Amino acid sequence: MNDMNPIMLRLAQAYVPFQTYVNRWDPMKALMMGTIFPELYRPYDGRDRRRD
Amino acid sequence: MHREQLELLKRIQALEFTATEFNLYLDTHPGDQRAFIDFSNTVRELEQQKELYTRNYGPLIVDDTARQPCWNWIDDPWPWEIEY
Repeated sequence: MNDMNPIMLRLAQAYVPFQTYVNRWDPMKALMMGTIFPELYRPYDGRDRRRD
Repeated sequence: MHREQLELLKRIQALEFTATEFNLYLDTHPGDQRAFIDFSNTVRELEQQKELYTRNYGPLIVDDTARQPCWNWIDDPWPWEIEY
């Protein structure tokens, strides 16, 4: 079971890491990327990303 | 629509998007002063660009028409007729 839960998070609770503002894209680039935050840019490619 | 007008419109849309992104971020991070300053600067530039646009090309929203010389709210092009 622990190989699925390596850092021992409590089961059945959802976790979202707190975002910290570091930098941003300029407005025109951000509009094309869909976010101003580079760390949030993660286009869906349809593959299983669990091992990334 | 002329190139200059179109570029200004795109700039306004990009600034509007950036302001909305900061809006969403600041709702969950109200104490982030640096993000608040960047939000405020974005909004200030957005207001300037909107003012420049309405003065030269016409209203962006219907309320802008009150400061136009005549009722040009219905003038071409309509939003879906603009070719980006």
